[in-house]
Amino acid sequence: MTTAAVVDTVAPTGEPATAGPRPGGLGDLRTYNPLVKILGPVPVMVFLVTTRDVLTPALVALAAIAVLAVMGRLRPRVLVAVALGALALCLVMTFSFGLLTDPATVQDTTLLATVGGFDVWSGALATGLATAVRTVALLMLVLLGGLTTSGADFVRALTQQARLPYRIGYAALAALRFVPRFSHELEVIRGAHRVRGVAPGRGPFAAVRRQAGYVVPLLAGGIRHAERVSLAMDARGFGAHPRRTDRVTAPFRVCDVVLLVSFWAGGAGCAVLAALLR
Amino acid sequence: MRFAYPDSVTPPLLDVRSLRVRHHLPLDDGGHRLGAPAPDGVDVVVEPGEVVLLLGPSGCGKSTLALAANGLVPQVVGADVGGSVHVGGQDVARSRPPLLTADVAMVFQDPDAQVVTGSVLDEVCFAPENLCLPVADVLARAETALRQVGLWERREDDPAVLSGGGRQRLALACALATDARLLVLDEPTANLDPAGVEEVYAVLRSVAAAGGRGVLLVEHDLDAAVEIADRVVVLDDAGHVATTGPVREVLAGRAELLAELGVWLPTATLAALRLRAAGVAVDRLPLTPAELATVLAGAPSLPAPSPPEPHPPAVLHRPQLPPSAAGDRPAPPVITVEHLTVRRGATTAVDDVSLAVDRGDFLALVGGNGAGKTTLAQVVAGVLRPRRRAVTGTVRVAGLDPRRADPADLTTAVGFVFQNPEHQFVTGRVDDELAHGLRVRGVPDAEVAARVDDVLERFGLADLRDRHPFWLSGGQKRRLSVGTAIVCRPEVLVLDEPTYGQDRERAVELLDLLTTLHDGGTTVVVVSHDMQLVAEHATRVVALADGRVLADGPPAVVLGDDRVLAAAGLRTPPLARATRALPDPAWRAVTRLADLPAPGLATVGA
Repeated sequence: MTTAAVVDTVAPTGEPATAGPRPGGLGDLRTYNPLVKILGPVPVMVFLVTTRDVLTPALVALAAIAVLAVMGRLRPRVLVAVALGALALCLVMTFSFGLLTDPATVQDTTLLATVGGFDVWSGALATGLATAVRTVALLMLVLLGGLTTSGADFVRALTQQARLPYRIGYAALAALRFVPRFSHELEVIRGAHRVRGVAPGRGPFAAVRRQAGYVVPLLAGGIRHAERVSLAMDARGFGAHPRRTDRVTAPFRVCDVVLLVSFWAGGAGCAVLAALLR
Repeated sequence: MRFAYPDSVTPPLLDVRSLRVRHHLPLDDGGHRLGAPAPDGVDVVVEPGEVVLLLGPSGCGKSTLALAANGLVPQVVGADVGGSVHVGGQDVARSRPPLLTADVAMVFQDPDAQVVTGSVLDEVCFAPENLCLPVADVLARAETALRQVGLWERREDDPAVLSGGGRQRLALACALATDARLLVLDEPTANLDPAGVEEVYAVLRSVAAAGGRGVLLVEHDLDAAVEIADRVVVLDDAGHVATTGPVREVLAGRAELLAELGVWLPTATLAALRLRAAGVAVDRLPLTPAELATVLAGAPSLPAPSPPEPHPPAVLHRPQLPPSAAGDRPAPPVITVEHLTVRRGATTAVDDVSLAVDRGDFLALVGGNGAGKTTLAQVVAGVLRPRRRAVTGTVRVAGLDPRRADPADLTTAVGFVFQNPEHQFVTGRVDDELAHGLRVRGVPDAEVAARVDDVLERFGLADLRDRHPFWLSGGQKRRLSVGTAIVCRPEVLVLDEPTYGQDRERAVELLDLLTTLHDGGTTVVVVSHDMQLVAEHATRVVALADGRVLADGPPAVVLGDDRVLAAAGLRTPPLARATRALPDPAWRAVTRLADLPAPGLATVGA
């Protein structure tokens, strides 16, 4: 079997493949460089933290959701869950922050109602709403990258552009793969301890005693598993050389620069629009 | 594939000289003490095109030797090492394990612990990428390796969705992709079901047949390994070489010695030894079922096999029954499962299963990985308590509903022994571990002490009573886990893969223990895919596939039905494979060594 024939079936050009699926081209957020998606919105986030109004973060949050909806290529269920979750978070935080705000600072606003001894001031609700919308906006900006990037792609970008040593990045990826195994193991240990009658009963104390009992077997199993995985990785040449072949590259292209600038421009646009509308 | 130059110039793929390893055992103060040497003064040579099988009882240093082949011992796993290890002429001690990847490839026992990436293709590319090969070469090697193990079509899949056999074939592909000429395989099939073992050996056969590569194989399933092995090196308890030579010469010629060491022998060889003891002339000891079949067919006259025990022998062991119930009506079953369906997430693990287990049964639940046998056993024992909407149907064990019963009552009805004994240890001392179940039930202290002492004595744990359970050896942990279950004197004992990853000596020890308990009246339910074990000990076999009962009956019937076994992802036990073609119907029914016409060889018969 010749090399050319093999390459033909995998990557027609023989060049390193690029990260992630690319069916949507420029309109698909998943094809952009993970570092741009994850670190690009950070300046916008910093700016958001300094705002105190409702309109600016609300515009940013709406813009982020719009981008996710159009370019995120998420499954409809995920998108709906994100939108509804944002709304629910907004409501809960508005009221809880509203109740917790120091009444002295909002004495000049209207008293809307009294719930179980707590006075609900309109000013307090406004402060709560602003905090809630700000939080939601930050969350949406994080999700922009978070929902459209796989862990492997992020690690590739970190090692290729951010010069993170690949040993750290790939060790972290391997560790992520332990999670489903541990949750299964924890389930078995819980069942085992329950049938043996460990700390039966309800209430926080029994629960704490139960949880404490899971730690030793879970850790013993976890350490053993980690040792085995590391032996397997060593035996496959992990760490043989300071660098390794990047079969899949995470390129930093012109469109990534455009996206980065668009993030900043979008944030600035939201701020200007909010100032105009105010 | 020999090279043209003379042998003295071509170094062997692996050259181990006088290897002596003493592991560093950690001490509380951060230092270490040295373990007993194992292996101790061992020479092993692997030439191109050769498969060398390394055998020995557990603790003899087989795995240590395997890990020393690329320097993981002592460079990653701390140890004091004497002697030398060379691969392809290179001194391993002067290199680092990752740098030796192009010379030595390894496959380990646990398929789960070898997966690093999120797709089959990425996994196979991992080693060539680490070796800094050009992208085109990485992909070429990955495709060749994946095609060789039959996983090319599944290259986009997450390794987690492959079967156990599939993941181990993937590990083999990863080893092949390094292009190393020496493959070191450390118990590669110990965690697999029979279908998985077959898949892995099909690949290994093709690797061995292609020549060029050399293989060092640590394996205890000799029924599978003898067909591909050329030479055998056997280590004894002390880690010395007990014997070495061509595979037939050692396994057939020195069978008694191996049995004495506690090393598995191929079932066909065991059977022939028994026949020989019964006076049947066996000139050449067979190693495989096919060879045994030839021996049996060629024998001038075969004595009648021992009559199989009447099935089920439940009638023989029915203690604790009130005399009235033992009258004309049969005793009620101790386990009743009616139309049980259990869903786990999107999959249906157990699908409309109905089952009644009589008191005194020794029931084996068999089936491939994912057949639902562990789920069924766990629901019966109350280990798994699925949410109400995830389960339909009813389960009764000794009159209790295991989903609702109080743990204290449940431990009297049913004891569960986990695949991994560590999961069920809940205290810091061996004797507390045994006493725990009794204390939960409010048994008076004096009786607790008496019963704990009794179990410690019977299970050979008396000297270890103040140890932490996690510091016991594998076999001791297994005995303790069975002890914690039976100290409460349950009516039913359920065991999940009790011989998984154990050597012959430990497996035999455990099964003798189970047989004793069974003879004493305990109902035993074993989840297993070790078909010969099932054939030897069970009185009844239930085969599951996709959560459904495929067959239910005495072992001779279920294990003799190829269609059922194939559908369940299982294989005919080796002895049944050898006897099925015989003309005498009494001989065709022979599936167990105990059925063979011989009284003796108790040390050899498993």
